[in-house]
Amino acid sequence: MDTTRMNRRRALKLMGAAGAGTLLAACGFPAFAGRSSPGRVAIVGGGFGGATAAKYIKRFAPSVDVMLVEPRERFYTCPFTNLYLGGMRDFESLGHDYRELRDRYGVRVIHAMAEDVDVPGRRLILAGGETVSWDRLILSPGIDFRWGELEGYDRAASEKAPHAWKAGSQTHLLRRQLEEMEDGGTFILVAPDDPFRCPPGPYERVSMVANYFKNHKPRSKVLLLDAKDNFSKQGLFMEGWRENYGDMIEWVGRSGDGRVIRVDADALEVETEFGEIHRASVLNVVPPQKAGFIADRAGVADESGWVPVNPRTFESRQVNGVYVIGDATQAAPMPKSGFVANTQAKVTARAVIADLAGDAPPEPHWVNTCYSVIAPDWGITVAGVYEVHDGELREVPGSGGVSPMDASPDFRRREARFAEAWYAAIAEDTWGTRPAV
Amino acid sequence: MDLPRHFSRGILTAAAGFALLVLGAPSWVNAQGRAAWERIDAATELLDGATPRAGSIRLDLPAVTQDGSSVPVTVEVDHPMNPDDHVEALYLFAAGNPSPEVAEIHFTPLAGKARITTRIRLDGSQTVVALARTNRGEWLAGQRDVRVTVSGCLSQGNSSDNSDFMQARVRPPSRMAPGEPGEVRTLINHPMETGLRKNPDGSLIPERIIEEFRAELDGEKLLAARFHRAVSANPYLLFFVAPGRHGELALRWEEGEGAGESATATASIPD
Repeated sequence: MDTTRMNRRRALKLMGAAGAGTLLAACGFPAFAGRSSPGRVAIVGGGFGGATAAKYIKRFAPSVDVMLVEPRERFYTCPFTNLYLGGMRDFESLGHDYRELRDRYGVRVIHAMAEDVDVPGRRLILAGGETVSWDRLILSPGIDFRWGELEGYDRAASEKAPHAWKAGSQTHLLRRQLEEMEDGGTFILVAPDDPFRCPPGPYERVSMVANYFKNHKPRSKVLLLDAKDNFSKQGLFMEGWRENYGDMIEWVGRSGDGRVIRVDADALEVETEFGEIHRASVLNVVPPQKAGFIADRAGVADESGWVPVNPRTFESRQVNGVYVIGDATQAAPMPKSGFVANTQAKVTARAVIADLAGDAPPEPHWVNTCYSVIAPDWGITVAGVYEVHDGELREVPGSGGVSPMDASPDFRRREARFAEAWYAAIAEDTWGTRPAV
Repeated sequence: MDLPRHFSRGILTAAAGFALLVLGAPSWVNAQGRAAWERIDAATELLDGATPRAGSIRLDLPAVTQDGSSVPVTVEVDHPMNPDDHVEALYLFAAGNPSPEVAEIHFTPLAGKARITTRIRLDGSQTVVALARTNRGEWLAGQRDVRVTVSGCLSQGNSSDNSDFMQARVRPPSRMAPGEPGEVRTLINHPMETGLRKNPDGSLIPERIIEEFRAELDGEKLLAARFHRAVSANPYLLFFVAPGRHGELALRWEEGEGAGESATATASIPD
């Protein structure tokens, strides 16, 4: 298919254009002359979407009051947890705090759990009963799991067969299980159907587990049972698996009976659609997902469990004055990635400021790159530029592309270094942090 | 597998169906005030002047789907399934595909309920239409709008693997509640070549599809299906067997020229 072919020069040109647009727009912001505060914006969620939105609203319009509600004082990113599992990265290097947002940009950071949204009263209700009043609300709540939708897989089961699809104790649990596994064991990853957080994530996960096995438990096997027949960067992943890990990784798609319909977390067994039972030494289940629960409380999620948004601004289609960004949204063809959440946050920051000033939102563009690391010296990417066309989001025709097949070892090594550089750059752009690697 | 070229173009351009949802118009009336089946020649030919009762077929599809090459769809006709009054045939159309016929399913009362799940190819955002005919000649209809996008992060792999070509799989009913029809899952590994796709050298890959599927229980007809090229690669069909039925399920898939594959399984559905 044409879209899978590399067209990097065009993509970079378009990305350059998108970047320039952001700069121009930043210069052209309403000054809110003569008013002490043009408005209050509350933001729920301090990840890639929420933290970026907080920072960029203050950058674009310092007089707007911005309150960022995030329970954790230190936020660990889901991106690059696979590199931690693979032994390539220290877990602490994935943690980010909010000092820069608070001290340099003047964001009011509230470390509390947002429990409910009072839409008519324009108030956010925090755990403990405290409230935060807003003129505009931005939700960047990430994902929650549909516990029980996959038979046998609920919160209790995830303590035995971790998902590790949110960074934290689940990531540590999976790492510990891998370390305790005997050489010669089988790691099984169960991958869900679309849509889910981080489309290339399951495939990077098995790559990094194989990297750990190759170095420490070389007789072990990796089995990926997939509810899909096609996945992100499929040809590149399969080439990378073959080149780096021989036949250690086996992928079974839906039409090969890879779709798991039941999990027995006690026995570490899974049952596929046509009745095969697979037994794991370590079982990693990525369950079906939906928007983070606060989206339900605010009434912005629809029957799909995700949030439909006005494509130009990412204001909810269902509730005026509430904007939603990041993994929680229905933003296809944009993937649910940290990079996308970051660019959506910038576009929405501008739209919210324009809205407070009574102006029309500017013409938006978004950009994404998903880096995946298959081995320490083997990185691959997919990139895309997005726009609104006829009232719908679409990938700019001819933009983006993926890494070429059969590239040189040097090309793959450089993309692995670019992945690390990407992480450092986006962390600094989002939280202002510069973690030591 | 790769989508035919025209599929990817269509995915980028078609979004008309989705606009309807946004405007909140009744789901079976389009902007011109006509039901979707009225715009499908094959459907109006079938109906031959009859007016179907709208809203009596439930279509379950994702409102937004990221992969038009394999869209899961469940169709259930809200109608009895007894020998005197039952659904005889169910027709599925994708109004926005180059050829709108997707599949037809012929039921007998042995199926217990007129409900199937399969996977279909959609050439962009559009309306999926179902028509059903009862043994008394009554027509029923239903439809649903679907928005199809493509994602750079979800690009089609290029990894068609022919090692399991024509491998048939069947999952007989298990763990059902008493009195409920039992669920049978079937799949056959087959590329379902549309005849629209090209080789790297530019030549057309000839059409090659599974055209027919039949299921019998101890020699008695249960269900028969006709697939068109809009049924996804590796045709998947989930259907039902009525409660209280026990016996040997015999399944048969056939390509056009009589080449085919068979499978059997034991079904035992409690009363």
